[in-house]
Amino acid sequence: MNAPFDPGRHRLLVCLGPGGVGKTTLSAAFAVHAAAHAAVVDVMTVDPAPRLLDLFGLDGASPGPHTVALNGISGPEKSGVHPPRLRAHRLDPKHTFDALVRRHAPSPAACGAILENRIYHNLSSALSGVADYMAMEQLLELHSDPGSGFIVLDTPPAGEALDFLAAPQRLLRLLNSRALALLGAPRRLMGGRFKLADAAARAALSAFDRVTGLHLLRDVREFVAGFEGMYAGFAERAERAQALLRAPETVIVVVTTPESERARQAIEFVDALKRAALRTGAIVVNRTTPVTPDAAELARAGLPAALKRKAARNAGDFAALRRRETRALAELAAGIAPEMRILSTPDLGREPGSLADLAEIGRGLEVLRP
Amino acid sequence: MTLPRLIFVTGKGGSGKSTAAAALALALSRRHPTTLAGLGRGRSALRLLGAGMNGAGRPVRVRENLEALELSARAELEAFIERIVPIKIIARRMLRSGTFGYVTAALPGLEAFLMLERLRIMAADCALNDRRLVIDAPASGSALELLSVAAGVGGIAPAGTLNRLAGAVESFLRDEARFGVMLTVRPEEMALREALETAAVLREQLRIRCVGAILNGASRARFSGAELRALAPLRAQAGLALRRNAIAEGTVRARAGLRAAGLAVVELPMLFRPELAGRELEDLGGRLEAGLLGR
Repeated sequence: MNAPFDPGRHRLLVCLGPGGVGKTTLSAAFAVHAAAHAAVVDVMTVDPAPRLLDLFGLDGASPGPHTVALNGISGPEKSGVHPPRLRAHRLDPKHTFDALVRRHAPSPAACGAILENRIYHNLSSALSGVADYMAMEQLLELHSDPGSGFIVLDTPPAGEALDFLAAPQRLLRLLNSRALALLGAPRRLMGGRFKLADAAARAALSAFDRVTGLHLLRDVREFVAGFEGMYAGFAERAERAQALLRAPETVIVVVTTPESERARQAIEFVDALKRAALRTGAIVVNRTTPVTPDAAELARAGLPAALKRKAARNAGDFAALRRRETRALAELAAGIAPEMRILSTPDLGREPGSLADLAEIGRGLEVLRP
Repeated sequence: MTLPRLIFVTGKGGSGKSTAAAALALALSRRHPTTLAGLGRGRSALRLLGAGMNGAGRPVRVRENLEALELSARAELEAFIERIVPIKIIARRMLRSGTFGYVTAALPGLEAFLMLERLRIMAADCALNDRRLVIDAPASGSALELLSVAAGVGGIAPAGTLNRLAGAVESFLRDEARFGVMLTVRPEEMALREALETAAVLREQLRIRCVGAILNGASRARFSGAELRALAPLRAQAGLALRRNAIAEGTVRARAGLRAAGLAVVELPMLFRPELAGRELEDLGGRLEAGLLGR
């Protein structure tokens, strides 16, 4: 099949890309496409808007999973393989973070102290980095579920590719940093790495706290102290997430649109991934304008002259768009390594609103550069 | 329409925020000195205008009456620390310390809040020489988070510098003469829905003025039912005709939906052109000038 993935060989597909390129729609289309090829598929969206569930005609109130009825979508069933199945999941960062704390907290008291903490409240609801981390956590959970199959992961719109993928490491670095020592976490957690120079920084921090009026250091201290005993659990999860992203069964796809500015952003994404030793499997250019129809055919047709002129003008307009797209695609192709595959998906000319539309996008996958 | 000193342009991802912000800055600069600021690194509006950046925070002259700059949360935090910690050596030490970075990352919305404070100061400076400010902001979800941060900071810091600033930032955001949001919308259902939701949150929860909406990529041309039937044997032509109609119908729906929500709508046409560069932006700027400022 014409796709940047193979459900027989791959276990996880990660869709990355700048905002507004259609990652959520495309993730859904990829999931439907895979399911149509008789695979067991789970699709996870981390988009806060319940768009994906909308597309699947499901209620957006619960995080799922929701089993999607594949009426008329699946291809021929092969004997000896699972019947196709598609489940949709939505990320709930707060819920996942709470569950994670409950699982790793050494005691109910420690667990309670964290869940009540002011910093924790802000961390778990306000900081997008935490949502990213929790997406990875939920992904790991799903990945280790024996009932799961091919997983398609939609990601939140990010200014930079690594915002999302680096989330586990960021949280880990925070927990592992000398911040803990500075804020008064027990020495044994720090392995005795406390330095004299830190004393000055500590004084500066408390001055900052006083001047700003935040009086937050006590909460921070409680928060990091609360994580004592949980660090190992978090570290292990973060390491597994990193390993999963680099596994041969994982394919990372950068999604973009055929616009000059987006092409440039996609090139930046690919570069950033490369610097982090993550391999981009393919670039998918979403919403490409169809090929311009043959003008001679229109000229020959037995139509009123006025309609012919109108249709020709209309076709000319779309041809102009296509020329703009072709230029953007050339910029994209020139900006990335020549061995990188580039695929495209068609613009349907309407907003995809049904499973059939999603299936059509999947069928329209085309290889622009092998 | 009386426009606020600062116009904060936001909308759904892909709804043409940067194009609209750049065109709006061009439009305003025909009448007043204007500054276009990109919130966050690499906002595209600046690149669309061909403004080469010299690092965060310093304005670059784009042309007569128009300058552009990039604002970064990190730079705002640094400036703030240097302001409140008068001893330079301590301020520098704090900023260098990785620990400090982690702690500020854990402080809810501190960087975002300081960004708003910067906008407030910029708007005050601009008022001195009748300069206008256009902000190429992040997508509406993040933008609403950013705009709600002031109230949160006020609650978290019950006294002290931040509490005082929070009060000032909140009244700035709610001052119709100083601050307003311009939404960008494409003639598509999802973009429209997001714009209407954003407008509702601005009005009901944040009490921030929504100046109106820029309907990007609008088109009026359409094929009648009879024309479509006649074109049907030519499948590709018929497909393009349907495509054109979908844009026109989306335009009608979006215009009606936005107006029903009480928003003033300015339309920018879908540009069926092989290039989208300076000349095209000037065209869009001209239309915005006519639509927002009058002839």
